[in-house]
Amino acid sequence: MTCQALCGQQVDAASQPKRTLILGLGNPLCGDDGLGNYAVQMLAARQLPAGVKVLPAGTPGWELPNWISGWPRVILIDAVQMGLEPGARRRFTLNEVRLIAAGEILSSHAPDLATGLALADALHQLPDEIVVYGIEPERCEPGTEISPHVKHALDGLVDDILREIV
Amino acid sequence: MNKRIDVHHVTRVEGHGNIVVEVADGKLKECRFDVTETPRFFEAMLLGRPYQEASHITSRICGICATGHATTSLRATEKALDVELSEQTRLLRKLTFHGEILDSHILHAYMLVAPDFLGVGSVIPLASSHPDIVLRALRMKKLSGDICAVVSGRHTHPIAMTVGGFTHFPERSALEDLRQRLIAARADVDETVSLFSSLTWPEFERDTEYVSLTKPDEYAFIDGEIITSEGAHLPVEAYLQLTNEHLVRHSTAKHTRHRRESYMVGALARFNNNSAQLHPRAKNAAAALGLKPKVTNPYLNTAAQVVEIVHCVEDSIEILERLIAHGLQAEAPAPPRRSSGEGVGACEVPRGTLFHHYAIGGDGKITSANCIIPTNQNLANLEADMRRLVPHILDKPEPAMQLDLEMLVRAYDPCISCSVHVLKLDPKRGGGR
Repeated sequence: MTCQALCGQQVDAASQPKRTLILGLGNPLCGDDGLGNYAVQMLAARQLPAGVKVLPAGTPGWELPNWISGWPRVILIDAVQMGLEPGARRRFTLNEVRLIAAGEILSSHAPDLATGLALADALHQLPDEIVVYGIEPERCEPGTEISPHVKHALDGLVDDILREIV
Repeated sequence: MNKRIDVHHVTRVEGHGNIVVEVADGKLKECRFDVTETPRFFEAMLLGRPYQEASHITSRICGICATGHATTSLRATEKALDVELSEQTRLLRKLTFHGEILDSHILHAYMLVAPDFLGVGSVIPLASSHPDIVLRALRMKKLSGDICAVVSGRHTHPIAMTVGGFTHFPERSALEDLRQRLIAARADVDETVSLFSSLTWPEFERDTEYVSLTKPDEYAFIDGEIITSEGAHLPVEAYLQLTNEHLVRHSTAKHTRHRRESYMVGALARFNNNSAQLHPRAKNAAAALGLKPKVTNPYLNTAAQVVEIVHCVEDSIEILERLIAHGLQAEAPAPPRRSSGEGVGACEVPRGTLFHHYAIGGDGKITSANCIIPTNQNLANLEADMRRLVPHILDKPEPAMQLDLEMLVRAYDPCISCSVHVLKLDPKRGGGR
C-alpha cells in the first residue's frame, strides 16, 4: 500500500491506536547493517494493531521525507554506532541524542539517516513522534548473515516495539 | 602567480574523487582528477555463477543505475544465448528504464547541481530557502521510483526482470494510475524546465568526441549501435575499438580514448547525437534551455538531463497507453535458443554508455565478464576540460576557482564507485610489476 493511500485514511484518534509507520533501515547485503530488515521480517510475522505499517526501507537517503511524511508516529530500526558492546540496544527520540551527520554531504547519492532526517526537518515533514530503536552492530561487511549478538538482541527489540505500539 | 587547489573528496558526487590543480609562475603544472576508491571486483564475482544470477549481481554495482546494470546484463546474456524478446517485454523494460533515468536525472539536477546555482551549500539549506523546489524534486523522484516498483518489483534493484522477460506483471489499474500521475506531473516537468532555463551556466566551451548509442527509430536507451560525433559507427560488439581503456597513475578507474585524447558520454552526448529523435515536448524544452546541437559546454550536461526528463515522461505516457490498449499478457520468459555463447549488452544509462560483455559456457555458467562504466569513459574528458578551464579562471580567487572546478566535476554526474576497477600495487613495496 502506498503512503498516500494510508495517509488518506481517516482514523479516529480517540478510539484507535496512533497510526504508526515502522521502517527497517540498512543494507541487507552488508551484515549487521541490515538488522533493520531482519527486524521488519520478525515484526511482520507478529500480530500488529490496526493502523500499523511495517516496511523495509533499505537506505532511503534523500527520499526519507517521502517515506515518513503524513504519519503521526514513525519508528525507525537501524544499526547505530553508539560505542557500546555489540548487540547492545537502545531506544531514543531525536531530542535525546545528537545524530552525527557528515558535515558536508559526501556521497550525495546515499546520504545517511541523519541527513535524511535533517531534510525532512527543513521541509517541516518530521512526524510528531519519531523514535529510533538502535542496536550496536558487530560486523558491517558484505554478506547476508547478521552476527549472533545482534540476532539475540533483535528478539528483545521486537518485543519492546510491540509493547510500545499496542 | 602560484596557486594550489586540492579538493580532497569532492562533495555532491557519488564516491570518492579529488581535484588537484597546481599553478606555478602563472603556468599550469598539475591538473588531475584523482580516483582513490578501492576496486570491488564485480566481474570476478560473476565468474562461475549461473547466467540467471548475473543481472541480480551486477545490479548491485550501483544503487542509482541498478535497472541500467540489470538491463545491460540481461541484454548481454540474451545475445549470448540468442533470446528473442517479445514486444511486451521490450516496452516494459523501456518503461522501467525511463523510471530510473528520471530518478537519477532528478536527483542530479535538483539535489546535486541546483544548490550551486541557488547559492547554498547543499540541499538541506535549499529545503529551507526554496522548499517548493525540493518538494517538487521529491514528488518527481517518488513517481520515478514508483514506475520502477510497479514494473520491476522494487524502486531499486529490480526483481521481476529475468532473462527473456519478466516474472511478474503489473495490474492494469497500476499502469492506469502511473499514466494519470505522469500526465499530472507535466506541471512539475514544466516548472523544472522553467527553473533550469533561468540559471546562468558557466561560460566554457571545449569540443570533444561525443559518444552514444543510436537507433534508427527512437532516441536510444536500450540497444542500438555506437555512434560518435567524429563520424565513427560501430556495432556494440566492437566496443573495445571505442573504449581503448588504459591505466593512469592517479586513478583506480581506467581512462578511455577513441579518435581524440578523450571522449564524452552521457546526456549531452546523447543530445548532440540523437536530438532529432526527442519527443516534441523535449525539443521545446531544449529550445527553452538554449540547447542546439552540437553543444560543447560540458556544464550543460545537466540541461541535457532536463531535456531527457521531459522526453522520458512523455515516452513513458505513450508506452503506458500502448500497454493499456493491448492488455498485458502474463507471458513466460522467452527461452534461450543456444546453451552457450558470447554477447555484448549496451545501454544508455543516466551517465552514458554502459557495456556488459559475457561468455557463457555449456553448463550455463559465466566464463568471462567485462563491464565498462560511463564514468570511466568520462574521466579523461573531465581532466581535459579541467586543463582547458584553469587558464581561463586563474584570475579568480582560489575559492571561486575551486567552485568552478567542483561544478565542472558535478556536471558530469560522476558515479565514481561504479567506475573503479583497477587494483593498484606499489611495486616498490609489493614486489610486483
